[in-house]
Amino acid sequence: MRDQSKRSLLPRWLTSEHPLPWLFPVTSLLIVFGLYPVLYSLWLSFFKRNPATRKEKFMPSWNWEKLLADERVWDAVQITFTYTLLALSIQLILGLAIALLLDTDKRGFGVMRALMTLPLVVPPAVTGMMFLLMYDSSFGVISNSLYALNLLSPTAPILGTGSTALWGVIVADVWQWTPFMVLIMLAGLRALPREPFEAASIDGASSLQSFVFLTLPMMSKIIALAVLIRGIDLFRIFDYVKVMTDSGPGTATETLTAYAGTVYFKSANFSYASTVALATLILVLVTSSIFIKVFKVRF
Amino acid sequence: MASVKISRLDKAYGKVKVLHQLDLEVDDGKFVVLLGPSGCGKSTLLRMVAGLESVTGGDILFDDKRVNDVHAKDRNIAMVFQNYALYAHMTVRKNMAFSMRLNKTDKKTMDEKVNWASSILGLDDLLDRLPKELSGGQRQRVAMGRAIVRDPDVFLFDEPLSNLDAKLRVQMRTEIKDLHQRLQTTTIYVTHDQIEAMTMADEVVVMRGGYIEQSGTPMDIYDNPNNLFVAQFIGSPTMNTLECQVAEHNGVKVAAIEDTMLPLPGDRNLQVGQKIFYGIRPEHFQITPQSVSAGSQPGVAGVVRVVEPTGPEIHVYLTLAGQDLCAITRDRLELRPGDNIQLQPDLAHVHLFDGESKNAI
Repeated sequence: MRDQSKRSLLPRWLTSEHPLPWLFPVTSLLIVFGLYPVLYSLWLSFFKRNPATRKEKFMPSWNWEKLLADERVWDAVQITFTYTLLALSIQLILGLAIALLLDTDKRGFGVMRALMTLPLVVPPAVTGMMFLLMYDSSFGVISNSLYALNLLSPTAPILGTGSTALWGVIVADVWQWTPFMVLIMLAGLRALPREPFEAASIDGASSLQSFVFLTLPMMSKIIALAVLIRGIDLFRIFDYVKVMTDSGPGTATETLTAYAGTVYFKSANFSYASTVALATLILVLVTSSIFIKVFKVRF
Repeated sequence: MASVKISRLDKAYGKVKVLHQLDLEVDDGKFVVLLGPSGCGKSTLLRMVAGLESVTGGDILFDDKRVNDVHAKDRNIAMVFQNYALYAHMTVRKNMAFSMRLNKTDKKTMDEKVNWASSILGLDDLLDRLPKELSGGQRQRVAMGRAIVRDPDVFLFDEPLSNLDAKLRVQMRTEIKDLHQRLQTTTIYVTHDQIEAMTMADEVVVMRGGYIEQSGTPMDIYDNPNNLFVAQFIGSPTMNTLECQVAEHNGVKVAAIEDTMLPLPGDRNLQVGQKIFYGIRPEHFQITPQSVSAGSQPGVAGVVRVVEPTGPEIHVYLTLAGQDLCAITRDRLELRPGDNIQLQPDLAHVHLFDGESKNAI
């Protein structure tokens, strides 16, 4: 009886037990917004485009050969990896440390955990602009504090100096995304069973030993997953660089996506920009596959 | 090894007091069982001895040294947890060797100890497995192995057998007792299972609602319960406790339930009209089928409800003056539900409890 009334209310395809109707919506989304752009980029990368004449000529290897010979690409690869590794390490260590501090049932810590998420709701471009102001040599709070501490000289502004510009961008990224690490780590820490830690303290383990021998190994899967998610995200860094330094000074902060953006929007060389973007994708895929293999990450 | 002394121990969580002024002494080498229903504070007491819970008031002494503020890691105790609390990412060998690894024992001693413990516990073939590849009983043994390799001053067991099936529980019970007899380490063992308590303990401490109700040897507690709670908690099937009133019949004091009269032991100071609980263990009844009772010593009449033969004995559940009770006989009686029988209580084993205070009279 119930089944029949259900059938009369809903169209047949909504009550189907066949997987196809249920796969259709997300599959079509993936095709339109994922697969098609990738394939189109691949298609574009096979053409030699002359931005001035807007003429395109089918030359499958032209862009790829250019890519391999392009020193700016190799610089960008190096900068992207540096950026990813530095930001990831800082976010991981800070995230885990803050999560350990917040992992308690004491009063008030629930509010603290909720407040941690605030930076995550700020749009990245806005974050970049905020830090731009704070780095300003005449009135920026960060710059002036560093000048006062004699750690930096006003003659070498943070974002205007090649050696510090990347760090300037990393700090903004760390501010915004460490809370994300904290959230993942907290979820992991809160789910750890209590007894093994009690057993360890009876076995004679100090807090540090418990952390090294129990917390870290028990958290390893979650840490690996967090590193993977954040790593991929960091690898395609664009907004902070675009807003704060626009790849400068010179090309000191030019990451792969920033370079692709420059080629696309400034040189209007769509084919070559697509090639750089695809190369970024390939690098991410290879790096993360190796990571997944080595650290046995399971989803 | 060490003796453990607990004096005027209090524990409170916020405003809720869970342990009240407990006093307890565990002599060196003794096996003491803390027994009580869930929520009575026995595990809390054990965890305080372990150093996993803070002390609100009073003292815990190991060998007369106050350990209240000594961290768990420095108390030289070993504890077996109810759900084993093994280190899931370490093999059996590493689980057992963990404490030695922490205090930097040399490899040779470490291997010797692990091999010694694993041979005692029958874990030789499992040393390189992970806990998830073991059965419940095997995990339990690993948890015990982890405890015994340490040469602790005190062993603490927190309901270690409650997650095992019945057969394994009996087997492990014997193993733990055997282990204690071999190692002679002071042991405090928490359980809610009175059979475990009776079979293993040198001394049983019965707890309820954060108080110690009675402590003594298992037999002493079984034979001379201080109050109604202890009487009903120890023994299986539990002691019969009939609500009656003291009356006088032909010049002799008897326990009356309506018209039924139960004989009373003569040596107690009882007032006529006093409400009492008449306690008698199932094995202290003499059962006679009605048909053969004529002419013999008169007893109390009961009606059989359920008959449970267990093999060595028969448990007879019956109704006596509207109250349920159980009697055990080793005679091969042919009894059926509805049969009328005669019961003769063994007066030497009758326990009387005051109806108000519930304490033994």
